[in-house]
Amino acid sequence: MATSSQPAPLTSRRPSGISRRLLLTATASAMFVTATACGSAVNTAGGSSSDGLITLSMQNPDSRTQDPATWQLVQEFNKKHPDMKIKLEGQPVDQHQQRMTIAAQSGTLPEIFWVYDSLAKTMVKNGDLLDLTPILAENGLRAKFAPSMLAGFRSGTVQYGLPYQALITGFYYNKAILDEHGIPVPVTFDELVAAVKKLRTAGVVAIAQGANNSSFSVWAFLTMLDRFGYESKYRDILSGRAGYDNPDFLRLYQHVEALAKAGAFPTNMNTQTYAQAVASYTSGKAAFLDAGIWEAAKIQKSTVGKDTGFWAGPTFSDGVGNQKLVMNVPSAPFVVSAKVEQDKKKYAAVQAFIQFYYSDAGQKILVDNAQPPVTTYQPDIDTTKNSVFTAVLAEASRPGWTSPGAQPDLVVSAATASAMYDSFYGVMGGSLSPEEAVQNVQKTIK
Amino acid sequence: MNWLTTRRHFALMIAPALIIYSVYMIYPILYSLYYSFTDFDGVSANGFAGLANYRQMAQDDAFWTSMRNTGIVLGIALFLLIPLGFLLAVLLGGRVKGSGALRALVFAPAIIAPILVGLIWIFLLDPKIGLVNAFLLAIGVPAHPQWIGGPTLSPYAIGLVYLWQQIGFVLTIFYAGLRMLPRDVMEASSLDGASRWQQLRHIQIPMLRETFGIVTALVVTGVFKVFELVYALTGGGPVHLSEVMVSYMYHITFTTQQYGYGMALAVVVFVVGALASAATFLGNRRKGEAR
Repeated sequence: MATSSQPAPLTSRRPSGISRRLLLTATASAMFVTATACGSAVNTAGGSSSDGLITLSMQNPDSRTQDPATWQLVQEFNKKHPDMKIKLEGQPVDQHQQRMTIAAQSGTLPEIFWVYDSLAKTMVKNGDLLDLTPILAENGLRAKFAPSMLAGFRSGTVQYGLPYQALITGFYYNKAILDEHGIPVPVTFDELVAAVKKLRTAGVVAIAQGANNSSFSVWAFLTMLDRFGYESKYRDILSGRAGYDNPDFLRLYQHVEALAKAGAFPTNMNTQTYAQAVASYTSGKAAFLDAGIWEAAKIQKSTVGKDTGFWAGPTFSDGVGNQKLVMNVPSAPFVVSAKVEQDKKKYAAVQAFIQFYYSDAGQKILVDNAQPPVTTYQPDIDTTKNSVFTAVLAEASRPGWTSPGAQPDLVVSAATASAMYDSFYGVMGGSLSPEEAVQNVQKTIK
Repeated sequence: MNWLTTRRHFALMIAPALIIYSVYMIYPILYSLYYSFTDFDGVSANGFAGLANYRQMAQDDAFWTSMRNTGIVLGIALFLLIPLGFLLAVLLGGRVKGSGALRALVFAPAIIAPILVGLIWIFLLDPKIGLVNAFLLAIGVPAHPQWIGGPTLSPYAIGLVYLWQQIGFVLTIFYAGLRMLPRDVMEASSLDGASRWQQLRHIQIPMLRETFGIVTALVVTGVFKVFELVYALTGGGPVHLSEVMVSYMYHITFTTQQYGYGMALAVVVFVVGALASAATFLGNRRKGEAR
């Protein structure tokens, strides 16, 4: 007992003296190790010698099934260019954004990658992205694009991005379900509400929506925002000269509330994911689906493919400005790491891939996978085999209808875009009043 | 022994552990603290923002909701998980046929990844396709409560799923504690005519005080790490009404790219978690000293 109690004062004194010195040593060592680690990360990413291997990083964990167009494009490119090789990789959207952000911090960005425009704009300011102007100048590539397809991805004189795919969004509808209940395809908002009421009475889910980890899936409602003057207002809103909580937008949210009260959305909207919402439509359990052209191939292959049409969304008698709007804009861009310029082989591979992607052969692969071309390429489409894709393209090119310049969430910060998604889902689910919804978005605008 | 007790050698021996601890624990904390005073967006150079992120937090309704929800999960963990875990340990600790299999069954959820636990419970609690509401409908209850995905019940549902997931773990610690109790004390009390309840109340619970302390500390620290359950069950929705502190911090940092504000949230999560853990350990120590 005596021996166990004796050393106590010694051990309690010693560590305090040692710990001060050790803490300094440890902190210095930690800083050294961290600095070394950061240094090596930067050095390996932009290595000066390579074999033409480049990485294309996308927002899908399995491009082969989730983005077959890109997957096939990469396969074809690798076949045609045996001296170069593209490694295709990806993660779900949120993880992808997070990964690209961390990669930008550590200087380890992949050579080419998809990224939300808000993050791309931040990267441009930081000098992380390559100016693609010289690549566009070669082989007349710039002439292949409509000016609007490139304008959104320019910062001053720097062309930092190129359109990955075209974004045509709206409502898919199941003609068989509508016919069964004697409902004509709606045109106006009032007709949509009337259709929803009939469908609800019949026990059919009217509009398939899924908010769980996919709050961004409000594309048709973002187009409605444009029908209340978003395009003419957003610059003033962002600069503080106007507010998102203006009477016009408030009116739209009141309409959304009316739609929700009419029973438009499934009771499990907040717990089902977007993928589950799509599944409920493709299995014939919902009359409408809020989505875009990227789902055309999947819907075509499903049991509801032959009955599916596409609608740009409702017009409003109390809307602001042109109501004949269909969302047909470039989606988030492809961008290239600035470090590619330091490596001739990598630069050549990136250049060759971009030329191939936007060539007619490349665009044909997009079309073959039910994606609209992003260049001026005119595709031949078998309308019987691709009736859903054809319906989307037909809606996007209706005479007298025009497209906004950009989707509303793609011209604001990530925080504001996230608040916009939440504002719609909040009103749809009854968690927010229209007033709270617009104010919540306004709060994020600094 | 003599070699070890010299200061230089002692320092050499503990240096590797201290360096690793500093790099992986202290550095990230200091890093977060520094960035919490900036407007860093994750990519571009950061400007000093002073206390702006902390002021934003004070005015952020979603942050207070996440704080309240964490409190609800903590309350369920402290007032339901620990007593139920102990009760089950007592019930399954007896020499009952099949108690070993039952213990394994109760422990099973603890070895399932939290993200899978969330997915499993969606099929039970979903207001439309969930088995719970289907059962209620089958027995003639017309109401379809929104256990998850609604504005009210989601944090309670998350707390109960956390309870289900953790109860096997808590049970196991209590079970081990009960097995360590000296058998002669129980036998003596039986001979003295103590009832089962009296044995529990006056012998087992007081003798397991340290075990209760350890379980409480583990549960408190565990609650401040709940993330995957929320992510899988509700994604924090609707409109962040079911976020807990960690899931909200993740949303702000990685979804909205407000790294500075996200780091301020991380600092607060760390401080609140550390204070709660410290209070638990201090409480345990005082009780130990009082004995």
